[in-house]
Amino acid sequence: MRLVDVASDLFERVRQVIGVDGPWLDGTDEVCKPLIRHWCEAMQDTNPLYIDEEYAANSKYGGIIAPPTMLLSWSMPRLWPPVVPPEGPVDRALEMLNEAGFTQLIVAGSTQKYMKPLVPGDRVKFTYVVDDVSEERQTPLGTGYFVNALFTYVNQKGEVVGTQTLRILKYRPGS
Amino acid sequence: MVYKNIHWNDVREGEELPPYTRRIDATTVITCAIASRDFLGLHHSRELAQEAGLKDIFVNTPTFYGFAGKYLTDWTGPEGELKEISLRLMLPCFPGDTMMIKGKVARKYIEGDAYLVDLDFTLEVEAGTNCRGRATVALPASRAA
Repeated sequence: MRLVDVASDLFERVRQVIGVDGPWLDGTDEVCKPLIRHWCEAMQDTNPLYIDEEYAANSKYGGIIAPPTMLLSWSMPRLWPPVVPPEGPVDRALEMLNEAGFTQLIVAGSTQKYMKPLVPGDRVKFTYVVDDVSEERQTPLGTGYFVNALFTYVNQKGEVVGTQTLRILKYRPGS
Repeated sequence: MVYKNIHWNDVREGEELPPYTRRIDATTVITCAIASRDFLGLHHSRELAQEAGLKDIFVNTPTFYGFAGKYLTDWTGPEGELKEISLRLMLPCFPGDTMMIKGKVARKYIEGDAYLVDLDFTLEVEAGTNCRGRATVALPASRAA
């Protein structure tokens, strides 16, 4: 097979995971004031909606809300005891590219959208799908594929609170 | 405490936001990575970062969101609501860097009953631009009468 056919075959195989549903996973911790305050301490964020009980109680939210930008942190797996996440479509796409020699990965871009604030006591669930795969591209890091992953976050009532995309470049270094 | 809020009526397209600078050291990189529950070794172990071909540990992506969120609502005041933030990541930010965030109003418009403003911003260090961002925020329309 010619090189160009190998590339288009890989492209077709990876594209088959587009739109395949991933598993729904539980956030590690419920949304809580200590993790919110810890975030604000690190980021040096003084927004009173996140840390000032009195101000937040008198706001339209009626209490503390989590910084919307914390979205991804609610879905980070615990470090210990180790968790084996169920395999999802994003992992499958990355593994196929890995086997084809595109071994390195960087996040090239990302978009977060915020629909509804998370508040202390909320339990987050999330899922992820591959929503696009680029054709093979030449990048300064090497040839590779851009895999676009879309994460959707809901609260315990099933309301979508936010989404995040990750534009992942899976590349063959120096090629 | 009384907080200042920006109102949509008072915003001009092209208007620049005040720049914000922060000195980034190893403590910044590590505390921000852990606050975002990101335990990847590249963000707290210089040895692992160097094995991966980088000169040092570096700021993780969630932290860029945290910095951007702080920058944007410091400007809007607490009544400004973050609706969307997009980042294009270009260059790692290392301990020893002084990061500067600059932003300006790209567009103001009304959608349904929301008074929206799009902002373009950059996070820069001495070596270049770490990332470019675009955000949408909703603002109170005007000062309460």
